[in-house]
Amino acid sequence: MLMRRTQSDVATDVVIVGSGASGSVAAARLAAAGFEVACLEQGDWTGPADYMSDRPEAELAWVERWSPDPNVRRRPADYPLTGEADVSPVMYNGVGGGLVQWAAMWQPLLASDFRVRTLDGVADDWPISWSDLAAPYVQVARDMSVSGLGGDPALPELDPYPNPPIPIGRIGLAAARGMDRLGWHWWPGANAIASRRHGSLQACQRRGTCMMGCPENAKATPSLTHWPSALAAGARLVTGARVVEIPLDERGRARGVVYRDRDGVERLQKAQVVILAANAVGTARLLLSSASARFPDGLANSSGLVGRRLMQHPYRTVTAVCEEPLESWQGPWGQSIYSLEFAETDSGRDFVRGTKWMVMPHGGPMFAVAEYQEAHRDEGFDAVWGTAFHRATAEVFGHAFTWGIQAEDLPEDDNRVVLDPEVCDSSGMPAARIEYRVSENTHKMLDFNVARAVEAAEAAGAVSTFVRDVWPTGIGHVLGTTRMGDDPQRSVVDRWCRAHDVANLYVIDGGVFVTGGSANPTATIMANALRVADHMIETRASQEVGA
Amino acid sequence: MSDSGPTPPQRATFALLADILVAEGLGMPAASTVGVAAGLLDRCLEAAPVLAEPLRALLDEAAADDPDAFVQGLSEHRPDDFAVLSTTVVGAYFLSDDVRRLIGYPGQQPSPLSIAAEPEYLEMLERVHDRHPGYRECP
Ligand SMILES: Cc1cc2nc3c(=O)[nH]c(=O)nc-3n(C[C@H](O)[C@H](O)[C@H](O)COP(=O)(O)OP(=O)(O)OC[C@H]3O[C@@H](n4cnc5c(N)ncnc54)[C@H](O)[C@@H]3O)c2cc1C
Ligand code: SF4
Repeated sequence: MLMRRTQSDVATDVVIVGSGASGSVAAARLAAAGFEVACLEQGDWTGPADYMSDRPEAELAWVERWSPDPNVRRRPADYPLTGEADVSPVMYNGVGGGLVQWAAMWQPLLASDFRVRTLDGVADDWPISWSDLAAPYVQVARDMSVSGLGGDPALPELDPYPNPPIPIGRIGLAAARGMDRLGWHWWPGANAIASRRHGSLQACQRRGTCMMGCPENAKATPSLTHWPSALAAGARLVTGARVVEIPLDERGRARGVVYRDRDGVERLQKAQVVILAANAVGTARLLLSSASARFPDGLANSSGLVGRRLMQHPYRTVTAVCEEPLESWQGPWGQSIYSLEFAETDSGRDFVRGTKWMVMPHGGPMFAVAEYQEAHRDEGFDAVWGTAFHRATAEVFGHAFTWGIQAEDLPEDDNRVVLDPEVCDSSGMPAARIEYRVSENTHKMLDFNVARAVEAAEAAGAVSTFVRDVWPTGIGHVLGTTRMGDDPQRSVVDRWCRAHDVANLYVIDGGVFVTGGSANPTATIMANALRVADHMIETRASQEVGA
Repeated sequence: MSDSGPTPPQRATFALLADILVAEGLGMPAASTVGVAAGLLDRCLEAAPVLAEPLRALLDEAAADDPDAFVQGLSEHRPDDFAVLSTTVVGAYFLSDDVRRLIGYPGQQPSPLSIAAEPEYLEMLERVHDRHPGYRECP
C-alpha cells in the first residue's frame, strides 16, 4: 500500500467523520449557517442503480450485497468486526450510513429514559432531559418527512408529524385487535417513509423491501434528505476516505484528521473543529486508534470509558400465524403499529426498565419461511424440510405478522469495543473487536415480554405462534461507547457533546447515549446532532480551535 | 451457461439434493421440477455470488456420497455448509414463476397506498387513549 502523506494547508472550519444519520444533520446545519464543512466518509454513494428492491432476486440480495453485516458484505469500506459477542453489530458503511439500509421506524425516547438512575436506581441519568430534544425532534421529523400519528399518551406531546400515518394494513389491524382485547397499549407506527409526496420524497408504494434500498425514493435517507442541501450550501463530501487518526497540536487540540484515500495515500485534512459521527463502533475505534503520549489509552479517554457501555437493544421475535390472509409481504418494512405497554419499570417484575414492541410484515417467501425454520430448528430436519417445507410455506406465508421486541439493555462497562490486536481493515487500521454479553436483566425482560407477546398473538386470533431466541446479529442499534455527562471522570463528552479532554473535538453519533431506552434510536441521534450543531453555531465566537 | 457456473454434473447433483430439501407434496412441485438446477440456479448465484464457490465445492463432495446421508450430515454437523445449500435451493425455488403463482405471491409489486380513507382502527385507538394512565412524569 502506498503511504505518502500529503497535507491540505487550508484548514476547514469543521471536519466531520462519517456521513450517516448524525453526520449529515450536522453537515447540513453547519453549512447552512456559513461554516466551511468537509465530511470524510469511508464508503461510497449508494443509489437506485444499486437497489435490488424491484427485482425478484431482492431477498437473495440480503445474503451478500445487501447483508446488514459488514463481515458478510466485506467491501473495502467495511471494517471487520471481530470477537465472540452474544450480539454482533450490523451497520452500513457509505454515504447515509445506517440510513441507507434502515427500516425507518421513527420513535422518540420516553421522558423517563433520561432519568433512569433517579426513577429506577440503575445506570445513570442523562445530563439533558426530554424537553431539550423536543424542538429538534420536531425539526428532524420534518426534514425526514416522517409519517405518523401524534397524541400517543405514552409520550409527551410534540407538534404533529408532517405526514399522516401509513395505513397499518391487515397485519397491523389483526395485531391491534389482540391488544384491544387485552387492554394493552398500541399506536400506529411512525416511519420516516412518506405516505404522500413530501419534501424530497415520493409517496410509498408498499413494496416492502425497504432495507435493500427504496426504488421509489419514498424512504428517508440522507442522500435525499440532507446531502443535497448540505452540498448546495458548500459542504464538501469526500468518499472513499477512511479516517485513521486524529492528530493533536502542542496544546492538545485536534489539528484535523488523517485519512487514507482510495489509493492508500495518507492525507491530512486540517480543521478548526473535529466532529465524530462514525457511529458508536466506528468512533470508539477511531479514538482508541488515536492514542498518543498525551492520551496513551486512546484520545479523549481519561475517563477510561471510550468503547465501554456498548448497548444494542437485544431483540427477539414472536410470529403470529393467522387463518385469514394478511398480505404480509406488503410494505413498508417499517413499523405498522408499536406498543409501549411494557416499556416502563414495574416493581412487580424481576427486571428493571422495559421494551418496545413493533409489528412488521414478513417480507417475501424466503424471509417468511426462514423465520419459521429458524424458530423450529430444534425440532429436526423432517419438521422443516421435505414436504414439511410446503406446510411451513402455506402456514406462514401471507398469513403471519411478527411482533419484534427490542429490549433496553443497561450500560455495562464490560460490554465494549476494543481494537483487535491482529486483524486490520483494508487501510491497515485495527479492526473493532466486540465484547458483548446479554445480561441477566435483559434475558429476564425478554422472556417476560415474549410470553406476553404470545398472549397478544393469541388474542389476535393466531392459530399458532413461533418464537425466536435473541438474534445473534444485532438490529443496527449501536449506542453508548462515548457517553455524555457532566462529570469528566464518568463520561467522555459533556452535555454539548464536546470531549471533556479535547476542547475542539465533538462526538455526535449514537455513542453519546447515556442509556439506550427501548426506542429505535435514530430519531434521537438526529435530534441530538441538530441540538449540538445549533449550539456550535450559537457559540462559534468562543469555540477553542486547533492550531 | 456462464464459464463460472456449475457444471452439468454439479447441476445434476444439485437437483438431487434440492429435491430432498423441497420435495413434491401438498400440491407443490419438487425443487428440480421447476428448474432450480437450471436458469434459476444461475439467477440465484448472480444475486448472491458469495454462495457460488462453496456450493460448487459441496456439490463435488456430494457426488461421491448418498444424497440423503449427505444432506442429513450437513444439516446435523455442518451448519454453515448446510446454509449455503439450503439458501441456494430455497432462493432458486421462490424465483420460479410457477411457485410464486401457486403460493399466491405477486412479488414485491408497487401498490399505491391510500391515506384518504378513515382508518378502521379509530375506535380501538380511542380506547387506548382513554385507558392509558399517561407517561411517567420525570424530575
Ligand atoms: C438494517 C438496519 C435497520 C435499521 N433500522 C432502523 C430503524 O428502523 N429505526 C431506527 O431508528 N434505526 C434503525 N437502524 C439504526 C440506524 O441506522 C442507526 O441508528 C443510525 O444510522 C446511526 O447513526 P450514526 O450517525 O450514529 O452512524 P451511521 O449512520 O452508522 O454513520 C456512520 C458513518 O461513518 C462512517 N465511518 C465510520 N468510520 C469511519 C472512518 N474511520 N472514516 C470515515 N468514515 C467512517 C461509516 O461508513 C458510516 O457511513 C437500522 C440499522 C440497520 C443497519
Ligand atoms: S415499502 Fe415504501 S418505503 Fe419501502 S421500499 Fe417500498 S416504496 Fe420504498
